[in-house]
Amino acid sequence: MTDWTLEGLAAAIRAGKISPVEATRDCLARIDRLDGGLRAFIAVDQAGALETARRLEAEQGRGAWRGPLHGVPLAFKDLCFIRGLPTSCGTRTAEYFLAEGDCTVVARLAAAGAVTLGKLNMSELAMGPFGDNAHHGHARNPWRTGHCPGGSSSGSAVAVAAGLALGAVGSDTGGSIRLPAAACGIVGLKPTYGRVSRAGAMPLSWSNDHVGPMARTVRDCALLLQVMAGPDALDATASPAPVPDYVAALDGRVAGLRVGVVENYFFQGIDAEMEAGVRRAADVIAQLGARVSELQVPDPRTMSDVTNIVSRSEASTIHARLLRERPHELQPVVRARLELGMHIPAYDYLQALRLRARLTRGFIAQVFAEVDVLVAPVIPEPAPPLAHATLGPVHELVARQGRFSRLTRPFNGLGLPALSVPCGFSSTGLPLAFQIVGRPFDEATVLRLGDAYQHATDWHLQRPPLS
Amino acid sequence: MKGDLESMDESGPRQAEEAALLGVIERMAGDLALAEEPARFIAALEAGRPSGGDDPE
Repeated sequence: MTDWTLEGLAAAIRAGKISPVEATRDCLARIDRLDGGLRAFIAVDQAGALETARRLEAEQGRGAWRGPLHGVPLAFKDLCFIRGLPTSCGTRTAEYFLAEGDCTVVARLAAAGAVTLGKLNMSELAMGPFGDNAHHGHARNPWRTGHCPGGSSSGSAVAVAAGLALGAVGSDTGGSIRLPAAACGIVGLKPTYGRVSRAGAMPLSWSNDHVGPMARTVRDCALLLQVMAGPDALDATASPAPVPDYVAALDGRVAGLRVGVVENYFFQGIDAEMEAGVRRAADVIAQLGARVSELQVPDPRTMSDVTNIVSRSEASTIHARLLRERPHELQPVVRARLELGMHIPAYDYLQALRLRARLTRGFIAQVFAEVDVLVAPVIPEPAPPLAHATLGPVHELVARQGRFSRLTRPFNGLGLPALSVPCGFSSTGLPLAFQIVGRPFDEATVLRLGDAYQHATDWHLQRPPLS
Repeated sequence: MKGDLESMDESGPRQAEEAALLGVIERMAGDLALAEEPARFIAALEAGRPSGGDDPE
């Protein structure tokens, strides 16, 4: 079953070729066999998953179908609150985050028939682009287990890449869906700000948090987004805009699409193999009939700094009690980042929010007058060794983290949809990736181009060397 | 709270990082329009939505 896509498994279950219980048992057996080394999960809910699968199987026997994910095993970043399961958010405290009700996206996926396998490893408090976690053990990159999986949704990417789950949910405040997706060779979508409800997910920065899908294919991400997206009375920032049919949008029609390869900032100082991989991806897109051109965008460093000011201020405010009462429980680099937020004056925070509005307006007006989507690298280098992420003085680690997430963070501030897609491998066997960035609420075009790219390539069909 | 959280050995690098980060406000915020406000970010996203009918050929 490890080669199946989420969509393929859903169809096989519906056709009676495999049952929800068989699919769930298969994932649980694989988790049991591999997760001791990979550490993708913080908590596996074996009993709950099998109980749900049996119920779904019984419903199937009566001809009842919950929805497009009936019987499909998924797993969730451990910042999604689910009744009956602890939500550590990667901290030492098992039940760090409590919400009034189940995380909206988890509830929607369950209502569509998904089976919850458990809660996934993550960087502490979703702060850290490498995916290391001293409390729960470092998640491991399935392609080379001595290397980082990327973070903060580390377990989400590892679980999907290793075939432990058919899809996962992650969150992205500065790149935390796209970075691990890129590092582990899967697909991850940060939707437009407001496209997906964040209710019931631990906040890190209410201005920059996004919840989104992670899967092996763009098509599977579209299927998950279809279920996850839409207005939510529990999240005031969730847009009331109607949700288009994302799966129907995957029609392969990319001829004439205006694609801009961003030449300023994004290729500066990045690894040569990564740059070559992204430029080859742009060539493939051109061969599909898209009008690919080089493009300069408004300086992303400004938006990156603005986003950082806002995120640090809000994260420190949200997690002030932990920082004040139990700072010794935090990893030093997480504590240092939170402490900095305490030193940002209200004046600078508010000016940053005002600047963000102006910068976003200007970016959208300038860039999308010229192109329909942007193409750029996601990570500046293939996943580095874990030791690289965890060794050294705190200020060096903070700076290293900032460099690794510098290509994703601007799009959190801009709120634009951004899709990470695998586009090859380095000479050392680690995944390469590029991101497709679109107009606000134009996930359909972003997904359409990503899907067309995957139809023309086979990077997403490669599997990590796990026994 | 600031004093309680201060870590002597990391306060130097932290202050440098803080200064670098806040430099953008010094450089960019001076000419913000009086009417600029955070909520205009959401308005920018809504206004930037695809209009429909803009499919590629």
